[in-house]
Amino acid sequence: MSGYLIRRLLGAAVVMFAVATLVFFMLRFLPGDPIQTMLFEMGDADAVERLRSKYGLDQPIYVQYWKWLTRIVVGDFGNSIYGSRISVSQIVLEALPRTMSLAALSFFVALIIAIPAGLISSLYKHTKLDHAVTVIAFLGLSMPDFWFAIVLIIIFAGNLHWLPAIGYAPLADGFWDWFRHLILPAIAIGTPFAAIIARMIRSSMLEVLQMEYMRVARSKGLLTFRLILVHAFPNALIPVVTVIGIALGILLTGTVVVENVFAIKGLGRVLIQSILNRDYPVVQGSIFVISAIFIFANLLVDILYTVIDPRIRYD
Amino acid sequence: MVRKAKELTLQEQKRIKDELKDAHDFDPRDPLFGLSKDQLSGPSISRRASLRLLAASGALSAWHLMPGMTRSAIAQNRGGDLVAGWSGVGEIVTLDPAQINQVLQFQISSHILGGLTHLNADLVAEGDMAESWTVDDSGTEIVFKLREGVTFHNGDAFTAEDVVFTFLRSKDPDQSINGGLLANVASAEALNDLEVKFNLLAPQASFFVKTTERASGRALTIVSRGALESMGASQYGLTPVGTGPFRVTEHVLGQGVKLEAFADYWDPSRPGVDSINIIPIPETEPLGAAMEAGDIHIIGGNPVPAELVDRFAANDELVVDVIGGNGFQSLFINPWRDPFKVPDFNKPLAELMEEPGFQVRLALAKAIDRERLIELALFGRGVAAYGTINPAMGFFFEDDLGENSNQRFDPDEARRLLASAGFPNGDGFPTLTLKAGTPQRREAQIIADLLKTVLNIEIDIEIKEFQVLVPEFQAVDYDLLRIGSGGDFDPDDGIVDFMQTGSRLNGASRDKDAMPFGHFGEAVVDGEGTEQSSTVDLDQRRALVRKVNRITSDKVASGFLYHPVDTLVHSKAINFPAESRIVGLVDMDRVTFN
Repeated sequence: MSGYLIRRLLGAAVVMFAVATLVFFMLRFLPGDPIQTMLFEMGDADAVERLRSKYGLDQPIYVQYWKWLTRIVVGDFGNSIYGSRISVSQIVLEALPRTMSLAALSFFVALIIAIPAGLISSLYKHTKLDHAVTVIAFLGLSMPDFWFAIVLIIIFAGNLHWLPAIGYAPLADGFWDWFRHLILPAIAIGTPFAAIIARMIRSSMLEVLQMEYMRVARSKGLLTFRLILVHAFPNALIPVVTVIGIALGILLTGTVVVENVFAIKGLGRVLIQSILNRDYPVVQGSIFVISAIFIFANLLVDILYTVIDPRIRYD
Repeated sequence: MVRKAKELTLQEQKRIKDELKDAHDFDPRDPLFGLSKDQLSGPSISRRASLRLLAASGALSAWHLMPGMTRSAIAQNRGGDLVAGWSGVGEIVTLDPAQINQVLQFQISSHILGGLTHLNADLVAEGDMAESWTVDDSGTEIVFKLREGVTFHNGDAFTAEDVVFTFLRSKDPDQSINGGLLANVASAEALNDLEVKFNLLAPQASFFVKTTERASGRALTIVSRGALESMGASQYGLTPVGTGPFRVTEHVLGQGVKLEAFADYWDPSRPGVDSINIIPIPETEPLGAAMEAGDIHIIGGNPVPAELVDRFAANDELVVDVIGGNGFQSLFINPWRDPFKVPDFNKPLAELMEEPGFQVRLALAKAIDRERLIELALFGRGVAAYGTINPAMGFFFEDDLGENSNQRFDPDEARRLLASAGFPNGDGFPTLTLKAGTPQRREAQIIADLLKTVLNIEIDIEIKEFQVLVPEFQAVDYDLLRIGSGGDFDPDDGIVDFMQTGSRLNGASRDKDAMPFGHFGEAVVDGEGTEQSSTVDLDQRRALVRKVNRITSDKVASGFLYHPVDTLVHSKAINFPAESRIVGLVDMDRVTFN
């Protein structure tokens, strides 16, 4: 197992290096000029060139790449070139807890909906209840999250005034404040994932329920409750965990649209904002972190397999 | 709501007319603009003198003189926590005046940092950090006496050295992007702890009302040397330390800026609230819901989205206040591409009218029904534009340009011109691409539809981020491109910045061998456009400005679309005094809860 882990970690380092290099060069080919935009109303051509030189953007691309690469080896992602020019690490570290909070609650919402829905659907297959759950699942899957987010805002913030329409409160400010700011975006993000996971639980459970050991367990007269939750559900989890792992990676990085709607500055929004600003160091730094999250989420899933199914061995 | 000009009483109209006339009535050769040096010296400058200075700098408009723009008593209910939503922005990237390049940033920084002067809504230039000042006979030496006992938020004493430090920092291009605003200031020296002298290269009418003004000044918005040195420029950009009515307690990029009333502020009557929480809200619907739900009390930042204004106006809990804005929005037409190629705009207009390329340009400009565009895209809030000079420039604005301009809406004539250029009923006309910024998607689609309806031509929309649109505009890489200007108080903001061959916003990064000018180049606009800029005789200047403006209109320097308006929305739970209502700003230091 430890040998496997070392191999995976080395592989992860290579993938991250490749991603970082690719992003660095692709960014330089994107149309748009951060300096010209920064000085749109203020600067003349001289000012543009002076600033370009100040940030080393006038140097050959390989020189810029080498400087950047040698810095990230020691954990220095540089500074934003836009606005206050604060460090990329600070920007990412500030955004990460918000994204993690949102991802955790969205994940929770997704599971809370998906597990009962998936189980009910599989246990009552081809009944009206199953069809109803299936329709609801497809509805959840086909709703654009930003649209659903706006609908939630209109109902719960605009009309009922129950929850805030925008913003984020850190957990340190108290659980309730944190929860009431995050629950609407978490529902908007979690619902489509709930639909995917519920469908996956249904199909996986249907497969497991037809296994011989389930027939044996049933013939032994085990209670349905115990039969489902102790014998069937854990064995149906392997494909579900794969989907959950991918979902977790997406939740941690791909919630940008909903973050934007609810004015929450998470990692996704940092990335989009920096791309819009052509803020190269921030784009590079945040993609580096995002790729690390994806890689380690997948590694976590692989390790989780061995916990769920002890027969799985990587040695 | 502020009333429209046509709703004013005869007396009010007469008062505005008289004030405008008096403001502009001075000998242009006089470096002090008809004011004595005593009138120019302060603790404050009179309304009459301030109007004169604004007029001399070209910044005075009839809007400034409208009823409602007068000082009111500050409500007595002090305290409370104000929440402001900053529209259409994801984060406040900086509050350091040396790096500020957006109005939505100095709308906030003006609450934290001080200037030497402050222009109130009576248009009286008051001392902000300066207690009084004197001007010498030449009008080029100005000595400010600073307020005694003023401290920065970190406890440091405010002295003349801080003013000089700010000046030198702003002049240094490595530290500031706003040095150009000090082009006319030769030097600044501290005479003692509480006196500072500025030496100007030439008398400058706008010095007190623009350069040293706490909000728009930027280059002379006073920064704390001690705080800058201890926290570094990056952190200072997030949590600047100043002498303003509020201090920053927290700034989390993308989540907002929290301000707290500064207990030792030099004016004990301000601020009116205990704290302000400023939250950036990038999307339209959440902004609307947050305002209607009472999550926020007031909207600042980018203009309130047009689609929300009527909704807010219908809400009994909200106040919507619309006044004239300043700027222009245009459809730029590439003169170096067929079918609207015009490589030489210097020919007489009659001759140009015979050229197919010019006929197509003009056909496009004449086919756009501005009123319909404003109604559909801006929900009726805007003024049809036929040039860069906007209504807020009152004195220079030509009311009837729309009726006389070559660009006036005339669908029959537009079709005739297109046919004459070889495209009867749009037959054979190539499909054009219209580039526009993300927020202008709807507007671009409406423009394309209007052109299709009148000329039967096809236009593809290409939506670009601003960061891409600007370089393509500057490289003259487009068929049609929708862009414009805001915050224009002076004719130079349109004519000199956009319309001359050497303008910095006229294809600055184009291939100059292939394109001798960017989107427009015309000898009279170049010559008399420069002349108007340095002409101090206002009647003469106005004549030149109008002449140049008309040429850019008639020769279709761009298809001018509209002048925007300035809309303030706030909850009735707060009292927003009229004296804080300054175009483009959201002054919250006098706001109180009802």
